[in-house]
Amino acid sequence: MDLIDLSTVPGTDDSFLRFINELCQEFELDHASYATVNPVSGSVQGYANYPEGWRMHYMRHQLHRFDPALHVAVRSIAPVDWSRFQRDEKFDLVFRPANEYGIRPQGMTVPVRGPYGDCGLLSVTRDCDDAEWALLRKKIMTPLQGAAVHLHDAVMQSNVLTRALYLPALSSREREILQWIAAGKTQQDVADILTISARTVEVHLRSAREKLGALTTPQAVGRAIGLGLIQPG
Amino acid sequence: MIIVIDGLNQDAFSDVLEDVFRLRKRVFHDRLGWEVTVTNGMEYDRFDALYPAHVVSLDDEGNVVGCMRLLQTTGPHMLSDVFSAILDGEPPIRSSTVWEATRFCVDMNRLKSGRGRNTISYVTSEVMIGAFEYGMAAGITDAVAVIDPVMDRVLKRGGNAPCGYLGTPKPMGKVTALAALMDVTPERVAAIRNYAGIHHDVFVDEDSLRKQRAMAA
Repeated sequence: MDLIDLSTVPGTDDSFLRFINELCQEFELDHASYATVNPVSGSVQGYANYPEGWRMHYMRHQLHRFDPALHVAVRSIAPVDWSRFQRDEKFDLVFRPANEYGIRPQGMTVPVRGPYGDCGLLSVTRDCDDAEWALLRKKIMTPLQGAAVHLHDAVMQSNVLTRALYLPALSSREREILQWIAAGKTQQDVADILTISARTVEVHLRSAREKLGALTTPQAVGRAIGLGLIQPG
Repeated sequence: MIIVIDGLNQDAFSDVLEDVFRLRKRVFHDRLGWEVTVTNGMEYDRFDALYPAHVVSLDDEGNVVGCMRLLQTTGPHMLSDVFSAILDGEPPIRSSTVWEATRFCVDMNRLKSGRGRNTISYVTSEVMIGAFEYGMAAGITDAVAVIDPVMDRVLKRGGNAPCGYLGTPKPMGKVTALAALMDVTPERVAAIRNYAGIHHDVFVDEDSLRKQRAMAA
């Protein structure tokens, strides 16, 4: 993945916006936005690469109070395609003016739930026909989920109060597997050594990577060594 | 047929959801003897308030005959606290593409044994197909399911053997509870479909179900 690794740069507004821009490039999207209500401070934090005119309109009219991408998508565990939104008054309040800025209701919102009741919403759009949209969705869904959690965790850790809560808690299995990877073993080797399936190794490794805020396994190994969770290979 | 009830459509299908909670009461409270909270003959807990996805199997008469509850592992879920004993005190898996499946059960009273429609085996397969296909569409790659040994055997027989287990089995009520890992892949769904002889789309059209239930009421 060509996305910037947010665990390697200071958590600033600039880096979050850069991540959103790169996400659009990587996943062939027109626009993306991310919003969260901080569970500790209660403040709303948001980043978007929509045209400036639309962002100003959205803020001026406080459309976050009605936006179904925030209020409806939060009630799902799966990404919500905007076609599922009811075409009601609130929908029109947001999507009718959006249309005037060239943003069509072809998109979806990925809800991220954090461990402390925190929730982040990553919305993405692409103006294309239905068939192309269906194909794109299928292609990007898994990595988009990963990117959404990566961004949400980075935003949570950028806040002094939530950072302390978000320290990575690796299980002994996850540490053990990272330790073998650090020693140069392949995932199949590790599976054979521990007499578990390769798929189980894969699940633990992905979990360890995400807990460490890393996008790649080498990055996760480096981080785990840095935190003293495993020994250098 | 399968309907997925989440926070977007739960008001439209509140009667179905109540039947889910009644089935869960009969299974987890009455039969398995788990320490669950029962309210007005229904079993629901704080995780049901977090807008999970309920994968629900309905028979031709519209009775709830099977269900499962799905939650993201990135947020609050059962293995992270309620079932933490299974994990021997270890932190749970947390991944953007792993969902947790809990409260998986079928209606033993209404369903027969053996194979074919309206059997325990058929409905178990149907719920799993529904959950896995719903998960795949959401980009999910794996699931961790809290199950009992009977369900574990049913899965192994039904082309749906877990690819591993987390922690160690722990006594819970009258049975043992274990955490099974399953990859969420087209290959696994194909194996379940092949075993159960289910080749059609398992998902019901929500609008027609809504009309059907309105007419029956």
